[in-house]
Amino acid sequence: MGRNRAIKEFDPARQKGQPLDLFTGRESRLPVVLELLKSPWIVRGSQVAKSSTASAGKRREEAVEVVWDGRKASPVEFVWHDRRYRVDALVQTWTVERSWWDLRRHQSRRCFRVLARGGLYDLAYDRLADVWLLTGIVD
Amino acid sequence: MSGFVHLHVHSRFSFMDGAADLDALIGRAVELGMPALALTDHQGLYGAIRFYQKARAAGLRPILGAEVVVETAAVLGEEGDLPPRERLRLPASVGFGRAAGRGYHLTLLVKDITGYRNLCGLLSRAHIRSADEPSVVSLADLARHSEGIIGLSGCPCGEVGAAVLSGLAWRASEALQRLARCFAPGDFYVELMNLLTPDSPRYVSGLVALAERLALPVVATNDVHYVERRDFRLHDVLSAAGAGTGLPGPYSRENAELWLKPAGEMRKLFADLPQACDATLEIASRCDLDLGLGGFHFPSVTVPKGETPYSVLAKRAWQGLERRYRPLTPAAVARLQHELAVIQELGFAEYFLVVEDIVDFAKSRGIRCSGRGSAGDSIVTYLLGITDADPIAYDLLFERFLNPERRQMPDIDVDFDSRRRDEVIEYIYQHFGNDHVAMVATVQTMTARGAVRTVARAFGLSPHEVNTLSRHLPWVSAHRLREVLDTYPECVNHPLKDRERYGLLTELAQELSGCPMHLGTHLGGFIITREPIDTWMPLQWAAKGVVVSQYDKDDIEALGLVKMDILGLRMHSAISDAVELARARVGAGAVPEPFDLTPDDPRVYERIASADTVGMFQLESSGQRNLAMRLLQRDFSDIIAAISLFRPGPLEAEMITPFIRRRHGIEAVSVPHPSMAAALHDSYGVILYQEQVLRVAQAVAGFTLAEADSLRRAMTKDRSREEMEAIHGRFVDRAVALGVSRDAAEETFRQLQGFAAYGFCKAHAACFAVVSYASAWLKCYYPAEFTAAVLNNEPMGFYTPRLVVNDARRHGIGILPPHVNTSKGAYTVEDEGRSIRVGLRDVHEMTQRLIAAIEREQAVRPFRDLADFLRRTRAEAPAAESLIRVGALDGLGSTDAGRPPTRDEMLALLPEMKAVIAREGVVGDDVLVLAPARAKVPEDPAHVSGWTIARRLSSELELIGLSLTCHPLELARTDLERRGVTWAKDLAHCEDRTRVRVAGVRERAQTPRTRSGKRTCFLTLEDPTGLLDVVVFEDVLARAGETIVTHRAYLIEGVLQNNHERGIAIIADRVEPYIVRTASGTPVRLRRGVPSGPMGPAIGGLGAPEEESWTAAYSE
Repeated sequence: MGRNRAIKEFDPARQKGQPLDLFTGRESRLPVVLELLKSPWIVRGSQVAKSSTASAGKRREEAVEVVWDGRKASPVEFVWHDRRYRVDALVQTWTVERSWWDLRRHQSRRCFRVLARGGLYDLAYDRLADVWLLTGIVD
Repeated sequence: MSGFVHLHVHSRFSFMDGAADLDALIGRAVELGMPALALTDHQGLYGAIRFYQKARAAGLRPILGAEVVVETAAVLGEEGDLPPRERLRLPASVGFGRAAGRGYHLTLLVKDITGYRNLCGLLSRAHIRSADEPSVVSLADLARHSEGIIGLSGCPCGEVGAAVLSGLAWRASEALQRLARCFAPGDFYVELMNLLTPDSPRYVSGLVALAERLALPVVATNDVHYVERRDFRLHDVLSAAGAGTGLPGPYSRENAELWLKPAGEMRKLFADLPQACDATLEIASRCDLDLGLGGFHFPSVTVPKGETPYSVLAKRAWQGLERRYRPLTPAAVARLQHELAVIQELGFAEYFLVVEDIVDFAKSRGIRCSGRGSAGDSIVTYLLGITDADPIAYDLLFERFLNPERRQMPDIDVDFDSRRRDEVIEYIYQHFGNDHVAMVATVQTMTARGAVRTVARAFGLSPHEVNTLSRHLPWVSAHRLREVLDTYPECVNHPLKDRERYGLLTELAQELSGCPMHLGTHLGGFIITREPIDTWMPLQWAAKGVVVSQYDKDDIEALGLVKMDILGLRMHSAISDAVELARARVGAGAVPEPFDLTPDDPRVYERIASADTVGMFQLESSGQRNLAMRLLQRDFSDIIAAISLFRPGPLEAEMITPFIRRRHGIEAVSVPHPSMAAALHDSYGVILYQEQVLRVAQAVAGFTLAEADSLRRAMTKDRSREEMEAIHGRFVDRAVALGVSRDAAEETFRQLQGFAAYGFCKAHAACFAVVSYASAWLKCYYPAEFTAAVLNNEPMGFYTPRLVVNDARRHGIGILPPHVNTSKGAYTVEDEGRSIRVGLRDVHEMTQRLIAAIEREQAVRPFRDLADFLRRTRAEAPAAESLIRVGALDGLGSTDAGRPPTRDEMLALLPEMKAVIAREGVVGDDVLVLAPARAKVPEDPAHVSGWTIARRLSSELELIGLSLTCHPLELARTDLERRGVTWAKDLAHCEDRTRVRVAGVRERAQTPRTRSGKRTCFLTLEDPTGLLDVVVFEDVLARAGETIVTHRAYLIEGVLQNNHERGIAIIADRVEPYIVRTASGTPVRLRRGVPSGPMGPAIGGLGAPEEESWTAAYSE
């Protein structure tokens, strides 16, 4: 079964026995948001506008402090502009290995898209500089 | 369920789109505890057989497959016909050759032998259906031949994946349904890849949703392109170079996740889809291919009714026995009986009949041919006319060729007249059928040069910089690049030594060592099968325009198929030509067939022993000439010995010196045990031939010859210490049991062990010696014809045509310059065999058409002048210019000074005449009656060309590559004599160990492997009087390496070595460049090059100017 099971199997006519009780509170909202974020047919603004000048996604490169959970292999919170963000969910991970032949432009990162404080944030661990960066605030 | 099997794996055999070495892949999969591993290279099974063998040997189940390009499934017609919104981005070109951009990727895996045969057929049809069409598998073909094949929907470059990424759900769904219909129910899977890109979750969930809707199973793969994560750089470099772009390459991959991940990691990537990982195990359990290696599969042979292949072979062999042995001897009869019995037992009769059939065809058409290699050890091949050396007379052992203890496919190689080899090939295709014959492939791998060029191109360096970096790198394996740069004298100033700038480039180039670059075609290997050949292996078009297998010779051997080497030997063509020329001059009956001669002519041996061997097959190299001076050949077995002695093995084992010393009685012949004496009689107690190892083991330890051959093979392979000890113990015990003392047995084994690896196959040498004797005999009795024939078949042999011509001149044969009224295309013999007329074929810019036109017009009437020549032959301007410059029109026509025009005057007229021809056409005789050429004052009024000798010589060297006027150093004779130079012909009269100074033009420079591992350069130089052999040891080479590489003529100082044991050579301690100048100071160019004259520089000439061109000549 795929990730959209919860949504696909939701039957509004039934009062009980649903896989997810949609939108009744924060706890039930989160899985739905995650499912929607992972849905293949929903294209986010940040993906439509790929260039750095585009306004749909906000891209930045700021050093942040991240608390790492080795067991989950995921960030659990990060501090940005003196504000602490607890990670509600890890939405997606990906890696970046760019321009390895050019020392000045070489990028080697592991990226985490996380849901925190109701927003979606891209955190990246830079393997070369050994620092955490906030690389985007999306959607 | 746990565990995982990688089902989508590219190795280096994906040609420039895979960096995984097969051994490393298999080793890593075993280390990770995977039960199976698939190999799915692009568009073929190039590495499949070796992968299959290696994986099974490592206890891993091999799954063979391929990633093919399949036509568009979801829509009809071309991608470009669709509305822009519905179009998909087509895959990049790398690794797909002609299929690039013409379809989408699809992964196919073989379940069983039916699937293997179907996949071979699918790939073959896609590749060879037409030479012009892209190699795309059609859906119809896939549907018809998918039995035994499991299909996976492919990577993001597959139609389904690409559609999902483009948001075209309808198209992905349509493509999935159509593709699934091509396979049996349950044999098609939706392939999921989580490559950790930002798009990956969308990609995977999209495919899963489709799979659920269509009720198709899913399977996880990782599109493996390298074994470890760190190898991603190599893959990027290869794919960029393969696509002809700079980094990041055609896919612009954003990360480095295409590695062979452990099962745990893969399962983590598909944590919520365990069934996708489970499916890999299920598929692996369904794929159980058994190729049945170890059997033999011969092509069909037609035999008369009531006969068997063996009976036919036996009859023909007995007939041959009567023909070859008169009188019949008991030894020959017994030998034939023995060999036939072994051949019958091993079931190889069909193979012999196939080879005989091809050889018979060649002989029936007068195509000269001869067998070579260990096949010469067999009396059956001798009696069938495949080989020409008598195995009984030369004590050749059948067991070396066919060992009844080891059932291994025999290998009979046959050399054919290279010019007529195509006729033989055509016959093979006709006789066995086009569907049953293909050429063997070779896998071209990266050398140091190739690797540097590949990485440099991927780094986006300019073509000039790429050339600068790869030039002057020796032809060594890429893994030695750093060592070569650090130690080779010619690399002292190599730009790659700049580690800061090129450190990464050099490191990556080293890592590319041995990486397959592309598929080549074997020189002469043909596969012949009984069943249609595309049921055995995939086929494709080679660059040469022939159909070639995707397997190389080792793969073919592993499959047990018949491979025949139909090799072209230019010496056969030269011998045939020489015989034809001689018969044309003295009559057909007066010249016997050289291969049928009894090899006992003292004049021939005298010529060989005097090292006067230029042009003789296998006897002409500088090493062989040196050996001849020491060996002083007297009979045929000496020729066999000479051919065997001058080989890397015997040279490395330093067999030559004891052989020569014992032969001349300087050292006593001694053997550890008297029973060895008979076996080593003809090599003076030295174990020289592989056949002798067998004989010694038989004589000392009582081994059968078959056992002895197994022992020899065991000794020559890399064996563990324990295995070697076991062999040792067995040998000594058996020798002692026969009454040989333990000491003698130990010493014999030590010698066998020492020499077994170095010995040479005597049969191979004997087969070659027949050709060597024939060429030597022709050189003795018909030198002009032989030289002309050699020149007509160049490139061949050890020397350049220039040296062959100079050698003929030194032997009193006149060298007549090319002339449009007398020269043919080929070199011809004139003056009753006393002169050779240079042919027009070697003149720069000559075309077949022009040569034919000249020969045709010569038959009508001689050319009157340049205008007449241009009009009647319609010669192209560059060719006409070359002909004028080499003097082929000298003496034709007249000027207003009442003499023939000089070359300069003709060159000045040429553009005008061509313009008139272009304007007026060539009809009528009078259109080109121009005013007589306006005379200029010639440089050298004494010569008809009006050119000085230096200019004539430069032109000859530049445009024909020959020095017709004289040897270049002849012009500098005064200067050289003033410098105290000793000429080559005088060296024999100088005392051993005297200091000499010599000068010569480089003919060859070789740096063979030496036992000590040091680099020694053997230079062969030529001066006006003969050849000089110079040895440059490592210390001198370190100083002179660059001079040797970048110049052509040298002044060398050193110590003369002139004794019987070592022959004549100069041990150099100083090598200086020498710029050849005439007495007036004009430099002479020594290389062929691109000329430039009044018509402008020629484009695409035969050779680019080298470093010592005019710039270097003038820089002194």
